[in-house]
Amino acid sequence: MIGATLSRWTMSYFAAALIALIAAEGLIAAGFGFPSAPIEAPDTLVVVHIVAIGWLTLLMCGALFQFVPVLVARPIHDNALPLPTLVCLVGGLAMLILGFLQLAGRVAHGLPFFPAAVALLVLGFLLVAWNLGRTMWAARPLTLAARFVTVGLVAFGATVALGSVFALVLDGLATAQPLIDLTTLGIPVHAAAGLGGWLTLTAIGVSYRLLAMFMLAPELDRASSRAVLWLGTAALAVLIVGGVVAICHGGSLPLALGAAGLLAAASLGLYGNDILYLYRARKRRKIELNSRMAGAALISLAVCIALAVVLIALGRLGEHIGAVVFLFSFGWLTGLGLGKLYKIVAFVTWLETYGPVLGKTPTPRVQDLVVEPRAVKWFWLYFAAVYLATVALIAGTPLVVRLAAAAMLIATCGIVAQLVRTRCLLDVTDKLRLPAGVRQPQLLYATPRQT
Amino acid sequence: MTDFVDLDVRPTLRAGGEPFGEILGAVKALKPGQGLRLYATFEPVPLFHVLGSKGFSHEAREIDGGDWEVLFTPGPDAPAEGGLPAAAATPASDGEWPAPVQEMDNRDLDPPEPMVRILAATETMAEGEVLEALLCREPIFLFPELAKRGHGWRGAFEPDGTTYKVLIRIGAAAGATA
Repeated sequence: MIGATLSRWTMSYFAAALIALIAAEGLIAAGFGFPSAPIEAPDTLVVVHIVAIGWLTLLMCGALFQFVPVLVARPIHDNALPLPTLVCLVGGLAMLILGFLQLAGRVAHGLPFFPAAVALLVLGFLLVAWNLGRTMWAARPLTLAARFVTVGLVAFGATVALGSVFALVLDGLATAQPLIDLTTLGIPVHAAAGLGGWLTLTAIGVSYRLLAMFMLAPELDRASSRAVLWLGTAALAVLIVGGVVAICHGGSLPLALGAAGLLAAASLGLYGNDILYLYRARKRRKIELNSRMAGAALISLAVCIALAVVLIALGRLGEHIGAVVFLFSFGWLTGLGLGKLYKIVAFVTWLETYGPVLGKTPTPRVQDLVVEPRAVKWFWLYFAAVYLATVALIAGTPLVVRLAAAAMLIATCGIVAQLVRTRCLLDVTDKLRLPAGVRQPQLLYATPRQT
Repeated sequence: MTDFVDLDVRPTLRAGGEPFGEILGAVKALKPGQGLRLYATFEPVPLFHVLGSKGFSHEAREIDGGDWEVLFTPGPDAPAEGGLPAAAATPASDGEWPAPVQEMDNRDLDPPEPMVRILAATETMAEGEVLEALLCREPIFLFPELAKRGHGWRGAFEPDGTTYKVLIRIGAAAGATA
């Protein structure tokens, strides 16, 4: 059948991801890890990986299982596989956290947490890549958005590979000198490949399609969008190949990082310009909350780049790298993710619930599943708290960072409550909520019906 | 020189009627190489897309009293009779389909409103009838729902590259969807 159907386990991914986000914000608010502890402390690594794997990667995977079929107009290769994949990724994250706690001496030594984490996370990645790869392979030639996802998956693989090397070295299993060098010097490459390559390039690709769809703007496949892809891919290649070669063969790592950064900045500049173009060419005059929040996230990305440039000019990037990465992760990636979740949950729930009876009986509109004025205050609280935390990180006041993280936590809980209300149809009027032939959707998974 | 067949739909329009079927019927009756000279009370822009997809070029000019005369000239690829756009995605392609009994332009609607309108229309139509809808993107989520309801469809982007035209035939999917 041509077309896309509902992804069965996407809601489970979203739920696990949101729990991880809440946990990470809670830990920062409680003073666990950076900035209360040093940036390279094991406690900080716990928080960073809860955000990067638990929140952002699970969110992205859940969204991709639903939207790669939309990008390529094909059903997903395997709609059951995402569940074991989720088990691998969550299990791998749990092992990784235990490994870091072992490093910190908080958990008894002796158990092979790092090797277990490597096995589970590598397997989880391979299952994601296999399922999405087969889906896209069946739909060649690839659309522009699907090519972004492909490059993003390559970056995901590189991130997992480098992380595996680090974990095995930290565990003592890997002792070759180049691998030890990679572990000591390669963290910037690992972090940039994950946050910049996997999460950002994929988000860019999907956002071209989703923003066009939700703002009623023309699909973009113009020279500048292709340039965004090529420059981004080049940045990634320079980062990973150049970075690893520099570390293992005594080249200049700062040179590789700088060159990759310049290419990435050019790519992001063109991307911002494309999104402005989409915004101006849109037919929908009234901009929904999800697109406004995507705008706020994009502004955060621009502020983040500007901050990095200023810090480089002042020669103080190393000192404040924590603030830059924080703003990138929470202002850009998390802001975009929460904004898009607000729309995706409503749309997917609407399609699952009312799709079978559309046209046969009166049904609510997608927008009837949400109450934007009630949600928007949580979103603005979230962004305000992120900026306060960023400023406090630069100013070096950990207590203010913790207070801001507490505000982010409250805002996130407020947004999650809205998402649960949407999923449970609590904001739909009684008259329209459950017409004959309609079933209440399950909170954590979709039940596609065959008729 | 192209030989033009005249069709005046102004009386139909002034009587509040919908001349689309009449026009498509006239196009279908054209002999190879023949063109259509159409008279209407407004510039029939939607028709340019529809006939453009059948290989006709058009030349429109305003005539007396705000009426319009449009010359539709067959291009080298124009079929002898009203065929469907080429390169259609066709889960159900069992021969010739009848002319649409209903058309809708959903290009300016917010998603998923086009899907809602199409499904609502299909519920009011009889077995074998055809619905034509214009959209601004491929209706990815509509197709599985059409398949579940046993309807067939043919869809493709128009030559302009931005309008997606889908034809839906009620109850035509038996044994045709994979």
